[in-house]
Amino acid sequence: MTPGATAVDLEAAVAPSERLELDLDVFDGPFDLLVTLILKDEIDIWEVRVSRIIAEYVVRLAEREEFDLDATSQFVLLVAALLEMKSRLLLEQDVEEALDELDPEEAARELLARLVRYGQFRNAGAHLGERWALHAGRLYRAAPTPAALLRRPADDVVLPAGMLAAALAPLLEEPPRPDTSHLADLAVSLVAELRRLRTILDADGAFSFHDVAPQSRLERALTFFALLELHAQGEARLRQRRAFDDIVVTRVAPAPA
Amino acid sequence: MDHLARRLEALLFISPRPVATTELAAACAASEVEVTAALDALRAEFAGGRHGLELAAVGGGHTFTVADDCAEAVRELTGAQRPDDLTPALLETLAVVAYLQPVTRADVADVRGVSSEWALTSLEQRGLVEQQGRAETPGSPLLYGTGERFLKLFGLRETGELPPLEEFALSADDAAAIRARLLANAEARRS
Repeated sequence: MTPGATAVDLEAAVAPSERLELDLDVFDGPFDLLVTLILKDEIDIWEVRVSRIIAEYVVRLAEREEFDLDATSQFVLLVAALLEMKSRLLLEQDVEEALDELDPEEAARELLARLVRYGQFRNAGAHLGERWALHAGRLYRAAPTPAALLRRPADDVVLPAGMLAAALAPLLEEPPRPDTSHLADLAVSLVAELRRLRTILDADGAFSFHDVAPQSRLERALTFFALLELHAQGEARLRQRRAFDDIVVTRVAPAPA
Repeated sequence: MDHLARRLEALLFISPRPVATTELAAACAASEVEVTAALDALRAEFAGGRHGLELAAVGGGHTFTVADDCAEAVRELTGAQRPDDLTPALLETLAVVAYLQPVTRADVADVRGVSSEWALTSLEQRGLVEQQGRAETPGSPLLYGTGERFLKLFGLRETGELPPLEEFALSADDAAAIRARLLANAEARRS
């Protein structure tokens, strides 16, 4: 597909009411104008970062209160067409580069091998056409066998009742209880942890995360959430000298009344 | 007609699809050699325009088919239509599938030099090509092959009855002509 081949489709798909203003390196203006310029070869599609256009549209979607399905569908269609144009150009360039690297005689030899192989199948297709003309009109019996005729005795096999019981027994057994030993009840709640940390802060004025955090991973995470909550509430200041270092928590002095 | 041939006639009459020689032999408790001989007798009995049916070996077995001069009346009664003719592109695609099966879409496109998606889909809709699992290559593409309908419509008992592909090779003169044209193009490109 050349860019021009899609001109009619794309221009028809641009909804005048749905104009997305773009501010790109190579273009500043509405999206539909950009598409038109690309189609008229006035802007090189290589210069256009489609991801930027999508990002701008997503930002705009987030800012809107209502979701317009039609407009968004048209946008997706246009972006898909742009991506297809870009990817096809990419492939065409590769093919040209590959051809440039080939010696003309070598290229001719390769092409000849392909044409000879293709010619075989073209001739085989013609042969199939002859067979088709002879046989395709043939009428074969196509009715299904009546169901009554399909009923067949089970080859004189008589199964003892015990086998049925043995086959069904596993279905009646209670399945083993799943092992839940790796699951543990959380011993502390966020409220209780906040209360505990506030008590320590009141008493000592400061503490380190390492000193107060429990051993269990989950409970340590809860303590960390409680720290964040204290910080969010403006009750404590958190300090960490470098990443993964211990966190020092100090009490924020209450503002004077 | 001997008793075995009459029993085979009954089996083929009642079966909705072609029945393999082995199946017929098992049903009649006879050897395959005996069944083959009886089928030959049956074929001779139904040949020569004496009956409205003929015995055909297609689709992996044996079945009755309507004699050509009776087909019109059958179509009138049943409303059965002759399948639409296949275009050269469809025949060519079908040839690739029939000779190279199982093949992926990419294999077909590689031989034909053009995308064959539409052709394969069209052949699949006509029941001439069917999906036969997935290739164990990156992306697990679908594999295509021919089935019983292909054999019936082309009057084949099995795909092995098709002439060897080598028979369809381009003649030496054709290949030489193409080669000369390509080399001339290559020379023009170089200059």
